[in-house]
Amino acid sequence: MAEPVGIAIEGVSKSFGTLQALVGIDIGVKAGEFLSLIGPSGCGKTTLLKSIAGLNPIDAGRIVIGGRTVSGPGGHEASLVFQDFALLPWATVRENAEFGLLLRGVPPSERAEAARKALHKVGLAGSFEQAYPAQLSGGMQQRVGLARALAVNPQVLLMDEPFASIDEQTRRILQDDLLRMWQEERKTVVLVTHSMEEAIYLSDRVVVLSPRPGRVHKVLDVPLPRPRQALDVRASGDFARLVDELWQILKKMQ
Amino acid sequence: MKIAALRGASVLAFLALWQWAAWVPVSFNFPTPWATFLALADLLRSGALLQATATSLQSLALGFGAAVLIGVPLGLVMGVVRGVGRVARIYLDLLIALPTAALIPLVILSFGISIASSAVIVFVFSAPFITMNAYGGVRDARPRLIEMARAFGATWGRLFTRVIVPSAMPMILAGMRLGLSRAFLGLIVAELLLSPFGLGKLIMNSRSMFEHDKMFATVAWTLILSGAALYALARIEGRVLRWRA
Repeated sequence: MAEPVGIAIEGVSKSFGTLQALVGIDIGVKAGEFLSLIGPSGCGKTTLLKSIAGLNPIDAGRIVIGGRTVSGPGGHEASLVFQDFALLPWATVRENAEFGLLLRGVPPSERAEAARKALHKVGLAGSFEQAYPAQLSGGMQQRVGLARALAVNPQVLLMDEPFASIDEQTRRILQDDLLRMWQEERKTVVLVTHSMEEAIYLSDRVVVLSPRPGRVHKVLDVPLPRPRQALDVRASGDFARLVDELWQILKKMQ
Repeated sequence: MKIAALRGASVLAFLALWQWAAWVPVSFNFPTPWATFLALADLLRSGALLQATATSLQSLALGFGAAVLIGVPLGLVMGVVRGVGRVARIYLDLLIALPTAALIPLVILSFGISIASSAVIVFVFSAPFITMNAYGGVRDARPRLIEMARAFGATWGRLFTRVIVPSAMPMILAGMRLGLSRAFLGLIVAELLLSPFGLGKLIMNSRSMFEHDKMFATVAWTLILSGAALYALARIEGRVLRWRA
């Protein structure tokens, strides 16, 4: 298994025309860390995530994943998980899970093997493999999106509000499954979310971005014990206090 | 069940209306449905109809085949290369908006009176629609899927074959269906107006001999042919796009 790597975001600025989306962003993500980006809409959290993925060229500063400076999309260190899943509607679950490998020119037998493993990890092994995305619930579709991201065996998972369009019960199950996978796989995760509970529950640290232009407003440590899915952390007073602390930070920013 | 009954009733109503039109009669020598059916059987038995069909289908296959083989790639290129799309669109819009039949004299002048010129007319009738749909299909590709593929490091070729073409496939197939119905239209127009071959010739000959039952039978046969071809294409479409269910 690939060793986790850190991400250095140094002095990153980005504007779209006259709109300044990000200004002087400095964040160091440690290897194996689970870090969340949160902030009001328009704070540039998704822009920053896409810049880490190399999809958004930045105007100033640099982003280094492991030892490699990001210069464009397609780096093998990181995989993206999308809010709307971004599954190919014409491809089966297995074909979708294999798609990242196919795009990288991995031969079919290897693809099938990696996809099967990844689908197993996300709990979709067996009968679902030949189904089409439209036949699956949102939660299951996102499992496929996650399997596709894991199949290429990245060191970093970049997640753009992955559970935002999934119902609450399913979301909690997916969050627990994600924590379990993260602990087993030891990957670095950067998660964009607008849910305070989600950010606190999952993360080691939460970075709060302020809007227009997007800047790092505050970094909140989350010293809750792990494994949180097993310890019922959601029910603890510390969890509630941290969520409230995050809420106070966000509220004052309005 | 209810739909099937309604459909059956509509066919009966149509036949009744036709029968009534022959009784009145609406015009001189207007054939009844039964007379038309007998004429159709006769034409099939004599082999005249099948021979005409073979000739016509040759033009159709040639013209429609060329329309697909040229129209689909052209539409894809138009969708991918912006400049080409912007320029070629103007000509396509013209071809779609203008009465294509007006081009027939020009085609005769260029290709003479032959099966080939029927095929050219078929092509002119169907290709613009096939091209336009392929173009629209590419433009409708979800940007998110393209972004996803780029994030996974897709080369341009793989992005095109694995994301853009499959995205455009529903529109391409719909365009082919539209193009096929236009191809039949072009075929009959061409054979009636310019190159006396195949089914069009049979229709014209029956008319000039006042064999209106044969004329009607040939027209009905043409409708059956185009209906069957469109149905077959729709079946293929359903198979290719089974993921949409």
